[in-house]
Amino acid sequence: MNPSLKFLLAVLIALEISFTNTWTVNLGLAVIGLLVILSSRPSLKRLVLLFFVPLIPAVALAVAILLQSNAGIHFALVLFTRIYAYVFVGSAATLTTSVADLVMSLEQNAHIPSKFAYGFLGAFNLLPKIVSEVNVIRAAGNMRGQALHIWSPQLYFKAILASLDWSENLAEAMTSHGFSEDAPRTYFKQIRIRWWDWLIVIGSLALLQVALFGLHLQ
Amino acid sequence: MKYSNAWHLRDIILLTLIAIFFGVIYWIIGPLYNVLTVALTPVGLGPGANDIVMGIWVMAGPLSGYVFKKVGSATLGEFLGSVVEMFLGGQWGASTMISGVVQGVASELGFTFTGYKRYDWFSLNLSVLTTTIVTFGWDMIRNGYSKYHIGLLIALFIIRLISTWIFSGVLVKAIVNLLDRTHLMQTQTR
Repeated sequence: MNPSLKFLLAVLIALEISFTNTWTVNLGLAVIGLLVILSSRPSLKRLVLLFFVPLIPAVALAVAILLQSNAGIHFALVLFTRIYAYVFVGSAATLTTSVADLVMSLEQNAHIPSKFAYGFLGAFNLLPKIVSEVNVIRAAGNMRGQALHIWSPQLYFKAILASLDWSENLAEAMTSHGFSEDAPRTYFKQIRIRWWDWLIVIGSLALLQVALFGLHLQ
Repeated sequence: MKYSNAWHLRDIILLTLIAIFFGVIYWIIGPLYNVLTVALTPVGLGPGANDIVMGIWVMAGPLSGYVFKKVGSATLGEFLGSVVEMFLGGQWGASTMISGVVQGVASELGFTFTGYKRYDWFSLNLSVLTTTIVTFGWDMIRNGYSKYHIGLLIALFIIRLISTWIFSGVLVKAIVNLLDRTHLMQTQTR
């Protein structure tokens, strides 16, 4: 499926179930999300995490409703299943799409300016460097007997200085390789929106409305 | 000082890099949030963990708003932070982006209300206030906060306000003060 539309659909579904209170629909969405995730053959470790990590906020919200409000067991169930629907539908989109595909699709199909697409992609590929930079900054602090915590301004300050340096270098490197901000581009990898992409988006949203209203009227 | 509103390749890369740094930091925070939630759940106060760490989650917004001084920079910074967190394998998948937009717009409002002209303690505090109100409103709908007893509701709001003030107010101001002393930002973010 087209990456832009896939993410649009996941976000629209998450938005809609934030405002509705039908736990069976939430459960159904979670199951569908899970099936999509399973079809991408994730590792067992990831699957276990997917099940257990949402359990923490889901239980917390449900218990809080039972103990701290008069909303009752039904609403607790709604919140519990809503968290799982969020996580499974959301992960169904992220686990089946690479960053590069999503960015290219956003550029070609959603027409975001190419400077945003390639600027983001260029920076994103520095991710491993950034993780190690955070460790370097903390190690450098430790060597001088200065422990840097999550609340230390120096940690962020040094991170921003490194970002300033790298962004300058990366932007110059991209420009010297022939990237110009608003010039028309051709694409090595073409990403198209097919008719069935629209069919899936519109069909799923229509089904969701039918399910929500149908169960609401009962 | 007058700032340009156009985004250039260098600004976009810088904003993404800052967002990634924060994404990495949020990702480190994840376990802390989970431990806090587990600890508070038995007394029915699990959602309070969300309010305690809220300030850390929304830091990227006011910081980018302050550093770039452009219309939309706070929203974009916070949103990119959430996208990065999503691809790092944060626990929420694509739904993270909704929180990112809500938090981004929430912190942006503080700068919008001052017409993008004031970048000082006042606009930062205003941003803290709008962030707290808007994200709290969103949690009232999404996480069912609206059903809690009024006492708990007020307590959660105050916890969130304090957390946001400490991290997105005081800490962001401290970072910006350090940056100002380097004199790197005035020339480079134009």
